[in-house]
Amino acid sequence: MVPLSYYVILSAIVFTTGLVGVLIRRNIIIILLSIELMLNATNINFVAFSRYLGNVSGQVFVFFTLTVAAAEVAVGLAIIIALYRSKSSINVDEFQLLKW
Amino acid sequence: MTFSLNVTGSDLILMLPEIILTLWLCGILIVDFAMPKLPKEQLAYLSVCGLAIVLANLVWFDLEGVSGALFANMFVLDRMALFFKILIVGATMLVLLASRDYVQRFRFFKGEYYFLVLMSALGMMLMASPNDLLSMFITLEFSTFGFYVLVAYLREDAASNEAGLKFFILGVFAAGLLTYGISLVYGETGKIVFSEIAATAWTPGLTIGFLLIFASLGFKIGAVPFHSWIPDTYHGAPTPITAFLSIAPKAATFAILVRLFFVSLAALKPAWVLLLVGVSILSMTYGNIVAIAQKNIKRLLAYSGIAQIGNVLIGLAAGTKMGEDAILFYLLTYVFANVGAFAVVIAVSNLIRSDEIEDYSGLNRRSPFLAFAMLVFLLSLAGVPPLAGFIGKLYIFLAAIKEELYTLIMVGLVNIVISMYYYLIIVKKMYINEPIDRSPLTVSPSMQAVIYVGLAGTLVLGIYPKPFIEWAVAATLMFSNFAPAAAVAPVVLPFGG
Repeated sequence: MVPLSYYVILSAIVFTTGLVGVLIRRNIIIILLSIELMLNATNINFVAFSRYLGNVSGQVFVFFTLTVAAAEVAVGLAIIIALYRSKSSINVDEFQLLKW
Repeated sequence: MTFSLNVTGSDLILMLPEIILTLWLCGILIVDFAMPKLPKEQLAYLSVCGLAIVLANLVWFDLEGVSGALFANMFVLDRMALFFKILIVGATMLVLLASRDYVQRFRFFKGEYYFLVLMSALGMMLMASPNDLLSMFITLEFSTFGFYVLVAYLREDAASNEAGLKFFILGVFAAGLLTYGISLVYGETGKIVFSEIAATAWTPGLTIGFLLIFASLGFKIGAVPFHSWIPDTYHGAPTPITAFLSIAPKAATFAILVRLFFVSLAALKPAWVLLLVGVSILSMTYGNIVAIAQKNIKRLLAYSGIAQIGNVLIGLAAGTKMGEDAILFYLLTYVFANVGAFAVVIAVSNLIRSDEIEDYSGLNRRSPFLAFAMLVFLLSLAGVPPLAGFIGKLYIFLAAIKEELYTLIMVGLVNIVISMYYYLIIVKKMYINEPIDRSPLTVSPSMQAVIYVGLAGTLVLGIYPKPFIEWAVAATLMFSNFAPAAAVAPVVLPFGG
């Protein structure tokens, strides 16, 4: 059996990739994808811990994380489409109307 | 690993306010769809009626002392949850009344606006009662989804879209941090129910997990250093939504913070007091200093809101039952003063279409009522006796003095002086400067109603705060010995059942 620490290290790497992606990328779609990576890193953690602890609540959590992630993408893409219509761009540097 | 979920009809009564609101908001959507000729302002009154029923229900529960837990202890109803629910429903009613005129600016989807506001209110009502990390996560996200759409609601307005984007990205980012933090806490303890986590020692996983959860909740309340979305989102969002965003989600998040710190982390108090003192000092100082430089009233209120959250965190840092009471009372005073101040901003913006502080020059000549109301609300926010804000600040400082947090109190007092400066600049503009345009302004009846409620609340809480303080004290009785609360609250149902 693969030890627990492998899963936790994997999820930490995926989470950090997502975190860095949100901070340095400029394309909104890539930022959204990076956030999905962060949420999926969480899922790896939950499933691994759940199996390791013999406790089912972690797996239940994964369902809800997936649902929330799907809802987030729906709302997020709607906002991005509205933005694209007005600016014809999805680069965050273009959105400087309000002081950041 | 078996699950048993026994929910009976009498248990579901604990959720009656939420169920009523759910049915009502579905009804609003159906009415909006089925009767396209109905003037949309009727929907505003219909929504307020629904909230009034929910409010009556909540008050009835509070008087009866209804309490209990549902769904394998995920949803808990106690006096504190009821306090926050009443606060949120009341604030939503005022916001809906205040948006009645503003909604005329939307070209499309006027009806759905009310649906989304009620949906967010429902999410925040649920946020007042989570009892484990799972329901905390779901309710937090539920209440935020409505806001993502509402902030970007002015589709033709580039500022509103941009505000929506910034709010969305940072909100989802915070959700990512939250779930990762929760997964670490779960891995470390194997538990997700607040009272069962009951951490006794800091292990690395627990420390990182709780810091991530705190960072995410810090995003929601807009405490420094997690405040970066606040000014832009407040500036770009439709003003009634700014008002809503500045009060209701923050109050609801405090309900979660209090449960988390006082139930799960009770044994580790010395460590988190330092964290909260630091965040509180940063929020107050940063918010107040940056507010001085603002030219737009919505941005100014955004920064003053960051500073006010710093004040509320003093109560959390005190970490006692008294600090807890002070938080509840302070939030109550803050709702009246802040909704009131934003109502004046909405009224002015409806009439002159501007949010620049310069355009408030000589407001007293144009509308003495608006100028006077703004004066009262700003002085209450600054904490001048005999207004509500003064009692709120006094109470919170007393709680901190009892815990001997003298540095925090000194910083707090210096900050009151700084905040007085920029609040009084607005007052000077309204009363002393000459107006550019002298035409008088007439305020619509629904805006007047909101402003009168705000004025009444601010004055009554300032002059006769006793019953409200008693209410706050009763709401937090379960923390009286500041020990981990009982896992299952005894079930008390209405009808004496």
